[in-house]
Amino acid sequence: MKWIKRGASEKPNTLEEMVKDLKQSIDFVAYENKESDQPYRLIYFASLIDPEQLHRDILPVIKECESKSLEGLKGILPIENIEISSKLSLIQERLLEGHVAVQLSRGQKVLLVNISLRKSRDLSAPEIEFSVMGPKEGLVEDLHTNMNLLRRRIPHPRLRMKEITVGTVSKTKVVVAFIEGVASEQNINTVMQRLEDLDFDIISDSSFIGQMLEDNSFSVFPQMIDTERTDRITGHMNFGAFAILTEGSSNALIGPINFGQLLVSFEDYYLGWNIASFFRIVRMIAILASIIATPLYVAVLTYHYELFPSKLLATLISSRSDIPFSPVIEVFFLEVTIDLLREAGARMPTKVGQTLGIVGGIVIGTAAVEASLTSNILLILVALSALASFTTPVYRMTNTIRFLRYPLIVFAQFLGLIGVALFGLFILTHMIRLTSFGNPYLAPLYPPRIKDWSDSFFRLPYVMQKNRFQFFRGNQSTRFKDKKKKSKHSLDFDEQ
Amino acid sequence: MEQNRKDLLISPFLIMFIIHSNQVGVGILGFPRYIAAYTGNDAWIVVIITGIIFHVFIWMVYRILSDGSFDIIDLHNKWFGKWIGSVFNIALMMYLLLGTIVILRTFIEVIQAWMFPELATWIPVAMYLVLTYYVLAGGFRTVAGICFFGVLIPMWLVFTATAPIKFSTFSNLLPIMDHSLKEIALGTRQMTLSFVGIDILLLAYPFLKNPKSSRIWAHMGVLLTTLVYTMVMVISLAFYSEGQLQQSIWSTLIAWKVVELPFVERFEYIGITFWCFVVFPNICLTMWGASRVGKKVLHIKQKYFIFILITFVFIACVMVVNRDQVDYLNTLTSIIGTYVYYFYIPFIFLYSTIWRRVTRRI
Repeated sequence: MKWIKRGASEKPNTLEEMVKDLKQSIDFVAYENKESDQPYRLIYFASLIDPEQLHRDILPVIKECESKSLEGLKGILPIENIEISSKLSLIQERLLEGHVAVQLSRGQKVLLVNISLRKSRDLSAPEIEFSVMGPKEGLVEDLHTNMNLLRRRIPHPRLRMKEITVGTVSKTKVVVAFIEGVASEQNINTVMQRLEDLDFDIISDSSFIGQMLEDNSFSVFPQMIDTERTDRITGHMNFGAFAILTEGSSNALIGPINFGQLLVSFEDYYLGWNIASFFRIVRMIAILASIIATPLYVAVLTYHYELFPSKLLATLISSRSDIPFSPVIEVFFLEVTIDLLREAGARMPTKVGQTLGIVGGIVIGTAAVEASLTSNILLILVALSALASFTTPVYRMTNTIRFLRYPLIVFAQFLGLIGVALFGLFILTHMIRLTSFGNPYLAPLYPPRIKDWSDSFFRLPYVMQKNRFQFFRGNQSTRFKDKKKKSKHSLDFDEQ
Repeated sequence: MEQNRKDLLISPFLIMFIIHSNQVGVGILGFPRYIAAYTGNDAWIVVIITGIIFHVFIWMVYRILSDGSFDIIDLHNKWFGKWIGSVFNIALMMYLLLGTIVILRTFIEVIQAWMFPELATWIPVAMYLVLTYYVLAGGFRTVAGICFFGVLIPMWLVFTATAPIKFSTFSNLLPIMDHSLKEIALGTRQMTLSFVGIDILLLAYPFLKNPKSSRIWAHMGVLLTTLVYTMVMVISLAFYSEGQLQQSIWSTLIAWKVVELPFVERFEYIGITFWCFVVFPNICLTMWGASRVGKKVLHIKQKYFIFILITFVFIACVMVVNRDQVDYLNTLTSIIGTYVYYFYIPFIFLYSTIWRRVTRRI
């Protein structure tokens, strides 16, 4: 299995052939200096190395070097990790990683010095997972920086980072980070095994890996969380999850997860427990409403209009009396419009996006009602459910929610409320069956782990979250030591 | 053997949900009429008596299964030999399949009577059976999960019982105990159909972690059923007059009509919609049980055998076309259920006790 069809150029057998082969690229340099008393040759990709380091640290040393051997040169170069090799495949690999090959005499043997150029953008605030409170620190595309961010947040020797290279062509470096003793070994073994088995040519982003590692790739439900927030990553690691960092991706993958965690904004942990619980419940209701609002509209208005009290029915009928379409067409029209707006908004620069929102939301919406294409009640429903769907804190979950309503609308049109219930049963069964790295998706609800409910639909105060989650089958150590509780208050009421 | 695989087992307390969900089905939507036909205002006593009898059955079943983690299929083979044992097992499978057909067809009858008069029977049957396949393909843990949510999700409907109370006259229940023992016995026999379902324990037992400690939860399941039935019965007796009750086929559904919410007029529609969740565990459990028999007796893999079962149930459900046939099917199941519970379980119980005595002496 070859990734590229090889043409005339055969696999090089000698260094000279390789140099000749690589010279077809403009950024490849094989510079030979015969004039000085110390003849040498430098081979490198100009696009990959740091020229400053080359001029400052390597060239002067070579010029002043007295010994004529590579070993001697290796001894005096002020750079770590120098290799001497004559293996062609290794040399080529290193050159492509940004090493410079130094040759002192004719022959295969070269000195490989790493002076690769690291360019990464500055740290910036997370843009997708925005939060009002909490740290505004997001991952960047550079693996090294990301590892540094994690290590600084958990300065503990047990924070392990295992590296593995995936992608036959892109040779993407992937790091699996976890806290040993907290994460379950079984999960770590599973993810390492799956990463080793992964066979693909170019890994452009962590989401590639995410899709290939999932337990069930047919499911619309995300089985890992993509996140750019470092606090979320370390928080999940503390629950017993691992994080997968990918070179060139500003998103980390967190797994294993359960369904409840997709509805948790990390800001919940920064607010007081009672306020946070309230928002969490609001969010859950919003998500449920967002999925079923328009299907219910279709079901009830198509089959069961007698469900409404006569007063409400009168309002509905008067708003729908001029509309020539059946409810399902009306709903599809508006839902597709909302998804169009969303899709267009995602592809547009921010400033144009605002205009688009006004055009889409106000002009199209109002005009559609005025032109008697949709009823204004439906317009309210669709707008509310669109709003509700964006309360989801995980972006991929938002997509799932937006997607799920379409089959539901079809079922509602087909069998009314019974259709909605049957499709609900299907989703329920699917979620019961789904696993994330072998861990049940609906835990701690099913299988019921009542101890884990302290941080699920609601969040109890931290004092009551002594036990780590059970559902990742990780270490069962506690999160803090029990201390004798001191009363914070001392009032006349408390005293004897 | 698969029973040793720990990751396939379920927590013992889930048996409560399994038993409760297998007991409660469509019957609850209309059972008060049938019981009240015999015992009038004392029907609620009949419910409690039947509940107590079923606690005894749970006790018997646990005694039958008490040694090792075998299900009834293994025990049949062990006690009666391969041939007679297989006859028993096939009979059990037929009984379970009958249970599937009755509940599925009766529920579709409800849908047709209340929501979609024109709906062809095969459409919901096919949808339910496809879903059943999807559940069974997930193994017993998924089946148990469906039971768990099948109890949890519709649980809130209990609160709607407060609505008819406003229009009830509880003096309807008086005088207490003015029916003869015979009438009560007849009522109890009639009530049995609504309580059947603990037979699934005979098959699910090896799938429980620490099966012996699950007994208390099995009793809790029956207790929950008894409470729900008693509540429905008391409210039905107080809400309807005796003559009215006899004329209402789906009395619980009709009582739902008085639930008033600002945006919902006919609450029974919502009730029936949520009943989809109540009915589904019944279908899954009985189909699961039947496919287990197929696997262990006929040695056909569950994943193939289930297709045969699904086809069979589909054809059977579609062949039942009108209300009379549905009624007949229910009566038939009631009779067979009575025999299973009042003859078969005590018989097996005695047989297992004697067998144990005899083998211990040898």
